[in-house]
Amino acid sequence: MSFEELEHTADVLMRVRGATLNELFEEAGRAMFHVMYGSCEDRGAGWRIDLEAENPESLLIDYLSELLFVSEVENIVFCAFDVDIQSTRLSAVLRGEPFDPARHSAGAHIKGISYFGLEIVKEEENYVVDIIFDI
Amino acid sequence: MLEGINKIGDLEWEVPIGYVPDMRVPGRFFLSRTLAETLEEGAVRQLANVATLPGIVRHSLAMPDIHWGYGFPIGGVAAFDMTEGVISPGGVGFDINCGVRLITTPLTEADLAGKKRELIERLFAAVPTGVGGKSGLRISNKEVVEVMQNGARWAVERGLGTDADLVRCEEEGAMPGADPDAVSGKARQRGIPQLGTLGGGNHFLEIQVVQEIVDPEAARVFGVTEGQVCFMVHCGSRGLGHQVATDHLRTLEHALAKYRIQLPDRQLACAPVDSPEGRAYYGAMASAANYAWANRQVIMHEARNVFTQLFGIDYDEMRLVYDVAHNVAKFERHDVNGAATEVCVHRKGATRAFGPGAPGIPHEYAAVGQPVLIPGSMGTSSYLLCGTAAAMQKTWGSTCHGAGRVLSRSKAKKEVRGRELREQLAGAGILVRAHSDSVLAEEAPEVYKPSHEVVRIVHEAGLSGTVARLNPLGVIKG
Repeated sequence: MSFEELEHTADVLMRVRGATLNELFEEAGRAMFHVMYGSCEDRGAGWRIDLEAENPESLLIDYLSELLFVSEVENIVFCAFDVDIQSTRLSAVLRGEPFDPARHSAGAHIKGISYFGLEIVKEEENYVVDIIFDI
Repeated sequence: MLEGINKIGDLEWEVPIGYVPDMRVPGRFFLSRTLAETLEEGAVRQLANVATLPGIVRHSLAMPDIHWGYGFPIGGVAAFDMTEGVISPGGVGFDINCGVRLITTPLTEADLAGKKRELIERLFAAVPTGVGGKSGLRISNKEVVEVMQNGARWAVERGLGTDADLVRCEEEGAMPGADPDAVSGKARQRGIPQLGTLGGGNHFLEIQVVQEIVDPEAARVFGVTEGQVCFMVHCGSRGLGHQVATDHLRTLEHALAKYRIQLPDRQLACAPVDSPEGRAYYGAMASAANYAWANRQVIMHEARNVFTQLFGIDYDEMRLVYDVAHNVAKFERHDVNGAATEVCVHRKGATRAFGPGAPGIPHEYAAVGQPVLIPGSMGTSSYLLCGTAAAMQKTWGSTCHGAGRVLSRSKAKKEVRGRELREQLAGAGILVRAHSDSVLAEEAPEVYKPSHEVVRIVHEAGLSGTVARLNPLGVIKG
């Protein structure tokens, strides 16, 4: 669906929307990589992650933290996210391209995902969550 | 000033019990009327939230660079009882032992004439910066464990520095209690390729000149003279520290029910200091802190080599003044109700400012207190201060850590053009080198509170004494 950056003095606050939980998580991934690297193309680099957590908020934090980890150690910038959530389990297939300093250096380095104010709510037809990325 | 806050001194304010439910102690912070205009209600609420944590001693504190973060406010300081109290990653932050070191050189600004651009370019080539910056060092899994145990000493033993450097580091560059077994494989994997790298955000390596000496005696003791060229390193524990924070926040969140701790903010997840989860976090945090001291040591070494090659000066002529941490939790002895008592002090965006004669500061600085380093924002002055006895009494020996942001990243990007800023700074004789101009806009001077005002407040409130002001000449950014 969409994501937008809201005002936050110290860090980056993103409001993310999705018609389903799967879509919300996909958009959250896109929002995070947009902050970190700016633009990105699908050039065949792929990855898969599987996680389990006790509630959707913890699952979202674990998923984004895992994306940060994989991106950093595997040097991949992701742009396509295919998320499948079944109850407390998440599987995600990710695609993107190798990190290229010439094209991916315009963003902000994210240090972590904050728990502060993170709550997934259903607003009419959409799921919405505000996420603070520590930069 | 915001409603519900009481003035209790010229620059001192109290957040009374009841500002948020379940506060155990009042909050206190230091701010001038000018800076009060920039104070966010969210930051005060976070300060009050900290006051709800079990075992908090005396006050939940914030320094004048207070601003809205997550968990603790940035600029937050709190001490906890060793048996009743807790330890929380939310009181340290993701960038464990983010900190600053200052190094003097025998050069003056005139010596840099015609060579400044080359100096900046060589530093930029020697010190990896930015997202994805990878180290030239190749360390093994075994070596990263040694780094976590021995901190800056690990680097010195490999020839990347001198024994004298270690004496002039907070904790002598390695805090006790590191437990690398509490650091996950993921954290090590992130740390191995990044030792000796600056990272991104507000981290930098800056060339500065000592513009003004305010306290000649303290400056003499610290070995700093007017007109001297210095360099300052600002960075932390990189991905290793970020992963430690992420991993342990999760563990501690799970442990909340076990210890029956109710929180107003999940980011304040914590456990008793003396619990398996609390000890594991402390051991992992100390490991990451030690990695950060090694990191700044390696970066300083690379920068010293560049100066040596370019100006023909000796390595030993570049003296480390001091290295301070501004995101850390430590076990320290302080006066509690007249008795020296061990407490767990959290400083999140706050600097230790131990006064004259305090334990744990270098012998050579004992008479004037420890050096405190306050980095300016890009293009503005940085400050060298000294710790005070008043800070020991009022703030667990703590002071501010920087200017504190006032403008969001999105607003900064709208209002400031990176390229224009770079050209404007170059016009003022300050050369800036980064991978991209857009990262400059986010760190523009107007994004931050004026550092001189923050420093004035800590000086007048007695939390530290101003020793010298340093102006930037050139900077490499992450």
